[in-house]
Amino acid sequence: MAENHSADSVQARARNCAAAIGALFNGVFGTLDHWRSRVEASTAWDAGEVDPAVYAMVGPELTAADPLLIGAGFIAAPGVVRGKGLHFAWWLGPLEDNPILGTTTEPSQLDLASREYADYLRDLSALEWYRVPEATGARHITGPYVDHLCTCDYILTLTAPVVVGGSMAGVVGADVLVRRLERDALPLLRAVGAPTALVSAAGRVIVSTDPQLPVGTLATADAGPAWSGAIACPGTNLKVLLRTAQ
Amino acid sequence: MSQEPSATTPSRGARAAVFAQLTGAGRSEQVAQRLTDAILLGVLAPGDRLPSEAELAKRFGVALVTARDALGAVREAGLVETRRGREGGSFVLATEQAPERLLQARLRGLSQVEIADLAVYFGTLAAGCAERAAELASTDEAERLTAWLHDADFSAASDSGRNAGGFYLEIAVVSQSPRLVREQIRLQAEFGPMLWLCLTDPAMRARVYAQNQRTAEAIAAHDAAAARASVRAQISDLSAWLLAAKEHLEQGAAADG
Repeated sequence: MAENHSADSVQARARNCAAAIGALFNGVFGTLDHWRSRVEASTAWDAGEVDPAVYAMVGPELTAADPLLIGAGFIAAPGVVRGKGLHFAWWLGPLEDNPILGTTTEPSQLDLASREYADYLRDLSALEWYRVPEATGARHITGPYVDHLCTCDYILTLTAPVVVGGSMAGVVGADVLVRRLERDALPLLRAVGAPTALVSAAGRVIVSTDPQLPVGTLATADAGPAWSGAIACPGTNLKVLLRTAQ
Repeated sequence: MSQEPSATTPSRGARAAVFAQLTGAGRSEQVAQRLTDAILLGVLAPGDRLPSEAELAKRFGVALVTARDALGAVREAGLVETRRGREGGSFVLATEQAPERLLQARLRGLSQVEIADLAVYFGTLAAGCAERAAELASTDEAERLTAWLHDADFSAASDSGRNAGGFYLEIAVVSQSPRLVREQIRLQAEFGPMLWLCLTDPAMRARVYAQNQRTAEAIAAHDAAAARASVRAQISDLSAWLLAAKEHLEQGAAADG
C-alpha cells in the first residue's frame, strides 16, 4: 500500500512538473500571440518600417535582466515585405563568443549576408520552424537543435503563424537556449523525486535528471520499459518521461 | 555587402564564413589571407564591395588598424581597389591571372605536412560528426539530410564546393553538438576553399557526391562505423588530390627551371 501511495504521488508530482513546464512555454507563446496580433494589424510593409516596429516589440524581451529569449522577431513570407523574399526582421540578444558576431552587449539584427556558409540551404521556408506553422496554422516548438543560422548553440524555437487578409504572412518566433531553459526546468524535474526527462515530440531529450539519458539523445520506444509512459506538457508538443522501475 | 542575399551571385558559398572571427597571432596576415583566398576562389566576385574597415574589424573581431593593414595588403596585391566618395569603398578587381594560377600559388605556400595535417584534422572532426549523427539522427533528420543531398547540385565546381561544405555542416548539426558545429564553421572558413579545390575536377565531383550518398545512407541506417568509414575515405581522397596537385605543380616548376 505504502509503495502504491508513493508511486501515485510520483505520478502526481510528474503531472505537476509537466503542467509547470507547459505554463512556462505558454508564457512565451502568450508573448508571441501579442506580437502576432500587432504584426497582423500592421499597415506599413516596407522593410524600413517593419524592422523598427518589430524591434520595438521584441527588443525589451531580449534586453531584460536574465532574459529567457536569446532571439526573437518576425519572419515575413516572400513578398510580404515590399521587394523582399523571405525577410528576417529577427534580433539576437547579447551573445557570448559567437563564431560570427563575437561577443555583443546589445541586440543585433540577423544579417543573412554574414551567414552565407549556410546558403547551401536553398529554401529557408522549408525549415521546420516555418514549414510546420505554415502547414498547420498552429503554433509549434522546433528542436532541440543546433542552430547554425543565429546563435550557433543548442536551442528550441517557438513559432506561431501570422495571417494577414486570410493568407500566410510569415511567423513570429522566439529562440530559447537549452542551457538557459535548463536553469528553470531542472528544479521542476527534480521536484518529481524520480528520474525524469523533458523530451521533444520526437523524443529528443532537452533536460534530464537521469544521467543515463542525457540531453541530445533520443528517448524512443526502444529505450525500454523502464520509462512508464509520457505526460504531455499542456499546450505544447513536449513530454515529461518518468522512470519508475530501476 | 547587402542585407538580402542575392540569388544571382555565383559561387558565393561560404562568402561570409570568410569574415568569421579570428584567433591567434598575425591577425592582419590572417585577415589578408582570408580575403585573398575568397577573391582567388571566386567566393568574392569582381565588382563586389567589401565591408567597410570598421565592419571588417567587427566581423573578424580585430582592431580597426589591423583590418586597415590587411585591406592595404590585399590592395597592394592588386586584388581590390579603393574608391573614395559617397559610392566609395573597396571593390574586388577582375584579376588578369587565371584564378587557377593564383590557387597554385596558395598550394605552393603550404607545406606537405600542413596539407596532410589539415586533412587529418578535418577528417577527424568530420568522421566524429558523422559517427555521432548516425547514433543520434531521428527519422526526420535522416530523411531531411537525404532529401537535401538528393537535390544538391554537384555538377558545377562552385556549387559543389558550397554543397560539399554544407553537407558536413548539416552532419555536424545532426550530431546535436554546438561545439562540433562551431568548429565546422571555423574550419571551413579557414580552409574550405583549399579543401574543395579538387572539385574543379569533374571526376572528383562525381566521386564526392557518391561518397556523400553512402554517408547519408549510413547515417539513416544508424550505422556509425559505415558513416565514419565513408567520410574518412572521402577526406583521404581530398588529401591525396591536394598533395598530388602540389607535387605535379612543383615538379613541373623544377623541370621548367
